[in-house]
Amino acid sequence: MNKSRNYRAWLYLAPVLILMGVFTFFPLINTIVISFLRDYNVTTGANKGFTFFNYGVVLGILEKNEGSGFTDNSFISWNSPSALSNTLLITFVTVPISIIISLVIAIEINNIKVLKKFFQTVFFMPYVTNIIAVGLVFSVMFSDGGIFNRLFKLMFNSSISISEGSTSWGASMLVLCLYVIWTALPYKILIFLSGLQGIDKQYYQAAKIDGASRFKTSLRVTIPLLSPQILYITITSFIGAFKEYNAVIGLFNRSYTKDQNVHDLYTVVYYIYDKINGASFATEMQYASAAAVILFVIIMIFTLVQMRVSKKMVVY
Amino acid sequence: MEIRLDGLTKIFPGDPKNDIEPTTAVDNLCITIPDGHLIGLLGPSGCGKSTTLYMIAGLHEPTSGDVYFGDENVTSLPPEKRGIGLVFQNYALYPHMTIYKNIQFPLTSLKVEEEEKSYEYLREIVIQNVLKDYKELIDIILNSSIKGRISKKKASQEIALRKHLSIYVAKFIFELGLHTASDPKAVVDEAIKNSQQKQAKIVEKISAKGATLSEEEPGLLLYNGEPHLCVRKISKDEMDALIRQAAALVQIEKYLDRKPSELSGGQQQRVAIARALVKRPRVLLLDEPLSNLDARLRIQTREEIRRIQKETGITTVFVTHDQEEAMSICDEIVVMKDGEMMQAGHPQEIYRDPNCFFVAKFLGTPPINTFKGYFKNKSLYIGEEKILTSKEDIEDQEVYVGIRPEGFLMADQAPEKDKVLTLNCEQVVTQGRDLTLVCSSEYELNTPLKLIIDSDIEAKEGPIKFALRKNKVFVFDKDTEERINF
Amino acid sequence: MKGPSEINTQLNLIIPGNKSNIEKTKKAAHFWHIFGMVISYAFLVVAAIIVLFPFYYMVMASFMAEVDVDNGRLIPITGNFFENIVYNYTQTLSQFNYGRYVGNTLIVAITTTLLQVIVTILSAYAFARLEFRGRDILFTIFLATMMIPGEMMVLTNYITMSNLGLTGRDQTQIQAYLAMILPFISSVFYIFLLRQNFKQIPNELYLAARVDGKSDWQYLWKVMVPLATPTLITITILSIIGSWNAYVWPNIVTSTAANRENLWTISVAIRNVNLAVLEHEVWVPQDSWLMCASVLTVVPLLVLFIVFRKYIMSGTGRAGIKG
Repeated sequence: MNKSRNYRAWLYLAPVLILMGVFTFFPLINTIVISFLRDYNVTTGANKGFTFFNYGVVLGILEKNEGSGFTDNSFISWNSPSALSNTLLITFVTVPISIIISLVIAIEINNIKVLKKFFQTVFFMPYVTNIIAVGLVFSVMFSDGGIFNRLFKLMFNSSISISEGSTSWGASMLVLCLYVIWTALPYKILIFLSGLQGIDKQYYQAAKIDGASRFKTSLRVTIPLLSPQILYITITSFIGAFKEYNAVIGLFNRSYTKDQNVHDLYTVVYYIYDKINGASFATEMQYASAAAVILFVIIMIFTLVQMRVSKKMVVY
Repeated sequence: MEIRLDGLTKIFPGDPKNDIEPTTAVDNLCITIPDGHLIGLLGPSGCGKSTTLYMIAGLHEPTSGDVYFGDENVTSLPPEKRGIGLVFQNYALYPHMTIYKNIQFPLTSLKVEEEEKSYEYLREIVIQNVLKDYKELIDIILNSSIKGRISKKKASQEIALRKHLSIYVAKFIFELGLHTASDPKAVVDEAIKNSQQKQAKIVEKISAKGATLSEEEPGLLLYNGEPHLCVRKISKDEMDALIRQAAALVQIEKYLDRKPSELSGGQQQRVAIARALVKRPRVLLLDEPLSNLDARLRIQTREEIRRIQKETGITTVFVTHDQEEAMSICDEIVVMKDGEMMQAGHPQEIYRDPNCFFVAKFLGTPPINTFKGYFKNKSLYIGEEKILTSKEDIEDQEVYVGIRPEGFLMADQAPEKDKVLTLNCEQVVTQGRDLTLVCSSEYELNTPLKLIIDSDIEAKEGPIKFALRKNKVFVFDKDTEERINF
Repeated sequence: MKGPSEINTQLNLIIPGNKSNIEKTKKAAHFWHIFGMVISYAFLVVAAIIVLFPFYYMVMASFMAEVDVDNGRLIPITGNFFENIVYNYTQTLSQFNYGRYVGNTLIVAITTTLLQVIVTILSAYAFARLEFRGRDILFTIFLATMMIPGEMMVLTNYITMSNLGLTGRDQTQIQAYLAMILPFISSVFYIFLLRQNFKQIPNELYLAARVDGKSDWQYLWKVMVPLATPTLITITILSIIGSWNAYVWPNIVTSTAANRENLWTISVAIRNVNLAVLEHEVWVPQDSWLMCASVLTVVPLLVLFIVFRKYIMSGTGRAGIKG
């Protein structure tokens, strides 16, 4: 009986195991393997054996075509924006800002009674929208003659246009960060709100009786009680921000073409996909794999560090 | 602080969309709670007692009627302005704060009003005084060691406790390092000298402000010879002392550094009370404070609540559905049903003299035994048996009869001629001092009937004829359920 | 008298903000309450306007003459309002093969979702109800894969697809669909969601079904699945939205096809299409038309959201509570 049920369970799991085996577990290992193979041939699988060469190329230490005198600094660079520095910038700017904004919005929504449902819905709506399509909207709003660029010019007498030809790295980055924050808010607000709704109302009543102001209640009662959600959101948004790609694609659809200054706005994932998009993939796969493994390692380290730190911060 | 409820009414609005009709939770409640009393709001769940409490607290707004604290009408005053302490049913201790911080929380929004004093100056005086007896200090520090190790925290706590100092001064003293110094006398002299210098500077500063120090009361500042009333923050020292005082009152000093989850239910309950009391409320409100405790702890804690209330003398309102609980500790109880007050008074009085059928049934363990009966020719009958004859002029009618369990006499407790009511005894339960007879009757309204008889008397199963104590028999109108005096 | 060495605990504690006169206290408290509420609502309204502004602008710009978009207008002012709308949308649709893209997207979305739901039900059931050796370890491994960046998989999966002959210059419609669907049938997140739901169903129901002679299989489809309908609806909706918004994978697998424009899903199309008008032998991109295409891409999502709001919000919210 026990044995037969044991075997039946594996039958139920068979489809998912096959699919995950082929499309999750095998790729995971295979990508790591490829990242260590010299001159890997995508179609035949032929290669010249184990090497760290690919990592050297990605990290801009080694020359892809030896003797050419040219190293690729688009992944990491000390003196100009690179995939890694852009990604880190996006992550450390947008994650804290979007967490604070969404926390404030969630707390305010939780404070009110009338129209609560309405605001909840309004602030969650952007969650279901298409990041590419709304990215196009942002790109129009921040184009040369776009409404926000005009507003910005009026207020600060300088341009944040992201139109082709008239933009700068700084302006593009600013708009990109704004857009990433905009896209990041709805999910965070929803999670914080459901966390807030799980907090016993008596804590607030107790705080009220004790004469705590709304600000003090938020700071001393609400936020500590919300710390499990804050931790969850912090970890997931760090991972998400590290993998930022769609926002860049949506926003800079038209202004950056491949032969122009695209490397300015590379992110780690953008770098990876650029390597395999179109015809180049046959020769560039091993570099993309190496970059993906580096991304994986960075994310792992960040997550572990955060879990470590948060052990002290999540308070109950 | 006397509390007066005047026509207090709470109607929760219905929701026509979901077919919910408006409900009247509290209906025209008028109660006066004298200053310093412990009063119990008693009733079955849903009777409006918690709503009443929340209206006193200000967390619910009454639909109509007023709440007075003394002469002040506080009806529309928000809860934080009322100066009340509230203990919630599930305590509502902040899980992320230590017990210390939990008790501290209410204090952080309060201020002190007093005649202006220089606490810096006082602190130096304290330090100088304490250091005079430095040998004792060294003893205290050395004795505080655990397994030969002296920790700063433990030693300072010990100093603070023994010398009645604030923890901050105690820490300062510990840091002088008296217990390790080769010549403690020199260290003390040095410290006293420093302190005196500091004191002199403080005096200078005070006179620069145009004030002088009072001769009679240490530290008191005088402006043109007059003390000056000022509002200031509660100092760290005072806060610490208040917290420790409140913790001592409920006997949880040992647990101040723990989190609520590390405490038992009873201990959490005490913390909740300490948190409510630390701010010196005018009124203490307790919402079913014992319902989450096990039976043994409940009895212990309710006595504790009684003790604390007596010690502090704060007017206290206590909500419970457990009549035994209410009867055992309250000065006065208010029995409520369906939002209305049924009867109020001293617990024993209400037990002895219930004014309606509901109150009679609600109070007492085991509950009162009830029968169908009727009056005929001024005599009360249960079935064929004539129970008693009234002197009053009562018209013939059907009634409810309630007889307390202890109202039955049998065997040689009463002469044979007084035995008037026959019940069928089904079971005899021995409970040490008393016997409980489980009985039945054709005319009973509640099953089973339970009678309490002295354990010296021998009782057997089968029909028994009882005499009745007249003051344990109550008669109620069948329609209005009101008491009929006979 | 207390010596100065003792701290005075007989303090006159007062509530700050309480006036000597109770009526004044009431009025002040009332004022601050109202003031706080006004600030709250004002903040929320302003924040909502900022959050919703891109949607407003998207719709408005799709109604504008191109010159108004280029001049950053807030509302259309040039030309006839209705003529602009008709002109913009007809021109957009003539260059933006909306029907085809939506068709592709729906075929991929519905097939993916259907297969996904079946696979998810089977595996969630195994993890929630069946006992087998290594169950907890396997489930932990599954959950751990959610932490791994998808890029790791995309690279090899792309090679797999080309080795299977599903990509390349001569890619057919069916091959493209298969390439888009296959890697996304298994979803650990949905398995997790459904397993949690299955676990909440009391074990007594299972025992009762066994007593009645029902097999595991019958129990799953007759009892568990109907009881988990809300979660299954959530999964379906989220999955369809996911397919609609998917860009990276559909773009990669179709990028080498000769007739890729016929294979695009909606998100790929809106990113790759050129909506322009020929002026003096130069193609000038038309922002207003781009906004029309955006509206056409976003509006179906918003409709879906409004209809299934409860399911989407509950399903998304549940993830966070569990951590």
